Order: sequence, then C-alpha cells, then structure tokens
Amino acid sequence: MTLIDDTETLTEHPYERARPRHRLREALSFRSISAIYIFAALFLLFSLWVPSTFLDGDTWKAMLDDQAITALTAVSLVIPLSAGVFNLAIGSQVAVGSILSAWLLSQHLPIPATVTLTLVAGAAIGLATGLLIVRARIDSFIATLGVSSMLLALTTWISDGQQILDLGAAYQELATGQLFGITYPVYFLVLVALAVWYVLERTPAGRRVYATGGNLDAARLAGVRTSTTIVLSLIACGLIASAAGTLVSSRLATGDPSIGPGYLLPAFAAAFLGSTQFRGGRYNVWGTVIAVYVLATGVKGLQLAGAPVWIPDLFNGLALLLAVGMAVRRGDTGRTSAIARLLRRRRSSQEA
Amino acid sequence: MGDSASQVPRTADLPGAAGPLLRVHGLSKSFAGTKALDGVGFEVNAGEVVSVVGQNGSGKSTLVKVLAGIHTPDPGAVIEHRDIRFIHQDLGLVPGLSTIENLDIARPLGLRGFRPAKAREERQAAERMIRRFGGDFDVTEPIARITAAERTIAAIARAMSDWSPTGNVLVLDEPTAALGAAEADLLFDAVRRVAAEGAAVVFISHRLDEVLGLSDRVVALRDGKLVADVPAGEVDHDRLVALIAGSELAEFRMEHADERGRRALRARGLVTDVLRGVDLDIHEGEIVGVCGLLGSGREHLAATLFGAMDRHAGSVTVAERALKAADPAHSIRHGLAYVPADRLRQGAVMTMTAMENLTLPWLRPLRSAFGRLDRAAERGETRAWTDRVALRPPQPDRPLRLFSGGNQQKIVMAKWLRMAPAVLLLDEPTQGVDIAAKAAIHELIAEARAAGTGVLVSSTDTGEILDLCDRVLILRDGRVSAELGRHELSEARLISESLGLSTTSAPRHPLD
Repeated sequence: MTLIDDTETLTEHPYERARPRHRLREALSFRSISAIYIFAALFLLFSLWVPSTFLDGDTWKAMLDDQAITALTAVSLVIPLSAGVFNLAIGSQVAVGSILSAWLLSQHLPIPATVTLTLVAGAAIGLATGLLIVRARIDSFIATLGVSSMLLALTTWISDGQQILDLGAAYQELATGQLFGITYPVYFLVLVALAVWYVLERTPAGRRVYATGGNLDAARLAGVRTSTTIVLSLIACGLIASAAGTLVSSRLATGDPSIGPGYLLPAFAAAFLGSTQFRGGRYNVWGTVIAVYVLATGVKGLQLAGAPVWIPDLFNGLALLLAVGMAVRRGDTGRTSAIARLLRRRRSSQEA
Repeated sequence: MGDSASQVPRTADLPGAAGPLLRVHGLSKSFAGTKALDGVGFEVNAGEVVSVVGQNGSGKSTLVKVLAGIHTPDPGAVIEHRDIRFIHQDLGLVPGLSTIENLDIARPLGLRGFRPAKAREERQAAERMIRRFGGDFDVTEPIARITAAERTIAAIARAMSDWSPTGNVLVLDEPTAALGAAEADLLFDAVRRVAAEGAAVVFISHRLDEVLGLSDRVVALRDGKLVADVPAGEVDHDRLVALIAGSELAEFRMEHADERGRRALRARGLVTDVLRGVDLDIHEGEIVGVCGLLGSGREHLAATLFGAMDRHAGSVTVAERALKAADPAHSIRHGLAYVPADRLRQGAVMTMTAMENLTLPWLRPLRSAFGRLDRAAERGETRAWTDRVALRPPQPDRPLRLFSGGNQQKIVMAKWLRMAPAVLLLDEPTQGVDIAAKAAIHELIAEARAAGTGVLVSSTDTGEILDLCDRVLILRDGRVSAELGRHELSEARLISESLGLSTTSAPRHPLD
C-alpha cells in the first residue's frame, strides 16, 4: 500500500531530496539567509576598501535613520503582498501621507490631530483600493496603478506642486529626536515590524492572510473570508504608509510632493528580496527589513568609496532583478516561492 | 524554415515497410529504487491502434513521459520510432483563440510571421484539416465555445497540420476524460482516420469499454509490468478488469445498512446556470451518489450545495437552518464540508505546508493568549491526523505540493473530517490518486459515515459509486432524472440512466 504511494511521490518529484535532518544547517544555509552572507561580504569588502569612513559609528547611525522610512514602507508592503495583492500605489500613499500632514499643519492644526487625520486618510485609501479589488473585481495590478495615479494628482492638488515649508521644530522632533543616540523612526520601525510579524506569523489571522495569497479559491472554500482579508491588508498597509509619509515631512520639516513615489522601487525590491530569506519563499517582515539594510550597506559603501550619485538606483534595480531571478530558479528546485507563484498567476490570467 | 522540412517524412528512412513504427523493448524506469516501469516491451504497426490500459499508478503516465522524453529510461531500454506526437489530456489549446488561430500557432514562423494573414485561405485550410478528422464545426469560434469533442478534434488537427501520419506515431493520453459517449464516438472516428492514413496510434485510457471498441490491440500494465498484450477481440471487459486490477481490487467493501438516519441536509429547487430545479435530501450516516454526463449538472451540484458556486434560486437547509448562497464560510460554520474536484486550484493551498492546510478551516480551538496560535497544540493535533490518514512521507512541515496526489487528497479529507462535519460533499474524491490512496480515502469516507456524517459523492467513476453509495441520483439536463436504491445499482444501469436510454442494459461495445 505504501509502496505505490511512494512511487507516486517520486514520479512527480524525482529530484526532490529527503528533508535535511539538521534543521540548523538548513536554517544557516546560503539558501535561507543569503542576505546575511551578502551583508558579511559587503561589510568585509568596504571595511578593507574605505575603513576610515565605513567603520565609523556615525555612518551606521545615519544609515539606520536614513533607511527607517524605507523599511517602514517595505514592511507595510509585505502585508498586501502576503495576501496576494500587488500594491503599486505604495509610493503615492507615502506621498499623500507626507503632503497631507504638511498641509494640515500649515492650516494650523495641532500635531496630534494632524497625525490622526493623516493616518485615517491612509486607512481610507487602503479601504477604497481594497473595495476596487474585491467588489469591482479589478486586478490588483491595475487597480493600484490607477489609484497611484489619482493619489499623485491629489498630492499635486493639495500642494499646488510646491513644497510646503517651515513645519516647525516641534513637528520635526518626531522624526529627528533621539533616544540613546538613535532617532525615533528606528524605534517606530522596530515596533511596527514586531507587530506585523506577530500578526502574520503567530496568529490565525496571519495564517489566513498567507492562505489568501497562496490560493484565493482554496482559501475561500476553506472558509477564509478572503475579501475581508484583502481589504484589511490594504487598510493596514495604507495606515503604515501614511505614518511613513508623516515621518518624511517631519524629517525635513517640509512637505515635498516629489519624494513619496521614490519609495516604490526600494520597497518592492526589499519585499521581494526579503521573500527569499528565512521563510523559504514567503514574504516576511524580518527578511524584508534585513534586505533594506543590506541594500543600504551596499549603496553606502559604494558612495563612501566615491561612486557617482546614480549608484543607488542601479544597485536597487540590480538587486530586484537578482532576487526575482533567484526565486524563479528556486521554483525549479522545489521550494515555495512567492515570486514564482506571482509570475505564474499573471501568466495564467493572461491566457484565460 | 529548416524545422518544417525536417518533419516531412522521408520514405527511405522507414524502418522497413512491414516493420513496427514504434518498438519498445526492456523499458524500465526506477525512482529511488522503486520500479515505476519494469521491463515493458511492445510494438505498434502502421495503421494500428493500440490501447494502453491500467490503473492509476500502474505506470501508464510514466510510460507516456518516457516516450515524450520527460523522463530518461533506465539503461538497457530500447525505444525506436520516427516522429512521435502527443495529445495530452489538457489538449494545450489556447481557449480565447479560434480553431484557425490555434492551428496557426503550431506552424513555425520566421520573418513570414510579420506578413499579413490571409483570412479566407486560412479558414479554408482549417476547415479542410478538421474535416479530414471528421469534424464539422465553425472554425472561427473561440476554442472555449466549441464542445469538448470538437476541441479534441482541433487538437488532433493541430498535431497533424504540419505532419504526415504515414510512418509516424501519435500518442493520445486520456483524451476522453471529459467527453460523453456521443462525443467520444466523434473522437474515435478521428483516431481511426489517423490510423487509416498509415500512422501508429497509441491510445492511453482507463475506460475499458471504449478501449475494447476502438483498438486493434490492448496492452495492459499493472505495477509497472506488462501483464497483457492481446488483440482486442480476444478479451472482454471482465477479463481486462481482472488483468489490470490483479489481486488489489475488492480490498475494500462498504458495509451498508438499510435504515436511514435523520435528515442532515435538505435542498429544494436549486437553480444555477446548469441546474434546473434540483431537490435533494441527505440523511445522517448515508452516502448519496451523484452520476451524470458532463453538462448534466453533476459537476456543479456539490459546489452549489456548499456555496462554492452561486445559485439563482432554491434553498439549502442544514439542521433546520437555511444556508446563505455563495458563502462557504457560512456553510462551514453550519456543518458542511466540501472537497472540490480540482485539488490544485480549489482543494488546498499547495504552497502552504500540510499542517497549515489541515488546520486552516478551524483555527479557533488552537488560539491561546494574545490571539496567538498555539504551535504545540497545532503540531499535536496534526500528528494525530497524519497518523490516522497514514500520510506518506509523514512530514507535516513539507509544502503540500511536494506530496503525491493521493497524499494531498488525504490531507484535504483530514482537514474536513477534523471538523466532524454534518454533511460531507465530495467531488471526484479519488480523481488522480493511486489505488492504495483510493482505498484509504474510501475508508475515511466509511468512517465519517459510521460517525453519522451524511455524505454526497459526485463521481465519473461508476465503480466508485457502486462501491460506496447507499443511494444514487442520476442527473440529466440539470434535473434529477432517476433515483436508484442500493439494490437497483449496477454499472449498466448507471450508464443507461445517465444517457437516458430506456433499456436497462447498456451496450458494451457501442462502436461494433
């Protein structure tokens, strides 16, 4: 009885090896934590290349602070991606958060009211996007692309295309204040990442998010409220993206309508790269956060070594392609890959 | 292009006018020490249709994959043929394009691909091709809108469009899985025409009756070994069943009771795009079978009851509570469970682990402080279930897609049995699983029934219906056309009622 069973397993996956006995070895393998090894390699490289500046503690503090907002945005993106939703509006959502908070302040609203209203707006944008996807049944790719364009219009309308200047020192303190020499956004990032990680990986709700992203039909037929899950994931994403936007304007004490969209690519690159870490192909929070900082280390090192200004874009783009390329190849070797799945899904929906 | 030139058969290369076009000798294929194929050998001559039959797991699909070059055979095997073409079960047509366009895809393009298409010429060429194989339908219709048999003919025409059958081999892999009897006839006609043009045809099927009607010779596989290679005229259905099933059949026998339990589910006046007013009761501890041809509504009934598909009218009541339409979560809460036919797309989340799939519908009892999922409890409960269903390999942390079809289905069954459902709705519960897993799944169904669950089994496998069911409903044209009690059940009766024949015994060889 079992004999035939095993034959069938092997017929379908003749190259599948037995699971390694040592979980630790698997956990420390290059496949699971390549980003850590890459980080180590980059660290070594730049320590030898530009030791005086690269090994300076201030460089690292600045980088932690620099990348906190990018990491926050990337973490927010992990939630809808896990639910199988592509949020291309993420950059514009940061822009709206940034410009809306700046404008509200310039209308002499107190800071708490400004922040609250901005967060509510972010959640509302998430809700509207979610309804477009589950009610109007527009593919998330297209729905969020459309929303993104409309949000950019909103940003320009609010700001009239101008920077909103002089938001005040009290407001600036939000993003630049320090505790033990590290700025507030870094702590905020840690809190948010912990919360998102806990919900996604330690609760039934998170299980349902991953199920929805893994196979919408099967999840629905297993009793998961997939539409609610998708809408809630976008609301959570909008909320965090708005908070990131608030920090963007607070950091400079200026509302700049041109900054937000720039977060789109780094956020996606980090989420994709992060999905190749730790969880064997699942989008996950810690992989994403680490990916942000590994990318930043590479960029920073190159900058310190005198690389030109166009290096960050090149580096991020290259990393994104590498991450996807690795994930697609990994699909062959039998591991679960969120990206490979996504690409397959797109392909099949085009054929249908 | 060079491509098309090389595919034109050159008579000089023929392996002798009277010799076989396909010769397989000493073919073995091992996977990690287990032989999926063991010394298989047979020949197919020009103009001959040879059927390969066998149960799931007998090595049929491995044979096809070796012929297609997907698997490399073990050393020592001899496989000789010239050009060989395959038509797989899913046909590989693009549903949104017309027959003309689908035929055109097969043609190799060079720079000619940029020349404007000549609409009238193409249409006439396409019509000629399908008529050559007995088809007569609108070639401008999208593939999605023609019948299943017409689709198969389009696929044959495409495989043949730049290829002369003379001296070459055509392999059809389970082409009739989705066809009704009349549609299958159309296909058989096309297959005979291919053979008549001088090709060797290998026809893979698990439907024994149609195989006997169509082929010249039958090759039977069991456990990877060739157990028969006989002219079709020399065997009958029963003998063939004995050959391919060996001693493994009849391992499982369902105990049937004659009294009925209380009513577990009541459906009245179900109307969907296909169903046209279906009434249905399922009682506690009863297994109700549903039979019917493709398009009869059989394949939609379980999904509609569960709410996986929307209904236009009608009611479904479980324990005196009316269920909402198209709301699976609501149905589950009221004791329904549903195993869909399409395991990959609907049955389970293949990318998640077996454990995650098992607990997905009912995570509430595993919740602990701060809404956390109690990992230890989840693992413990999973272990109990994987033991009970004999999951192989017993590794609940493996992604589900790495398990065999049979073991995937065991997990799907276990995830519902864990909830002790009032009503279990099964759509093709053993489709694409091997004999051992099939017996295991049937045993699980029997256990659920013994525990008082009402079961609905919708299946194209009449043997399965006969083995399991206390009562069978026959669907035709979206209505229940007949209801057969346990003592009226026979394969012939199921088939004749499905087809709407008035006689009680169906012709065994409709083609003779």
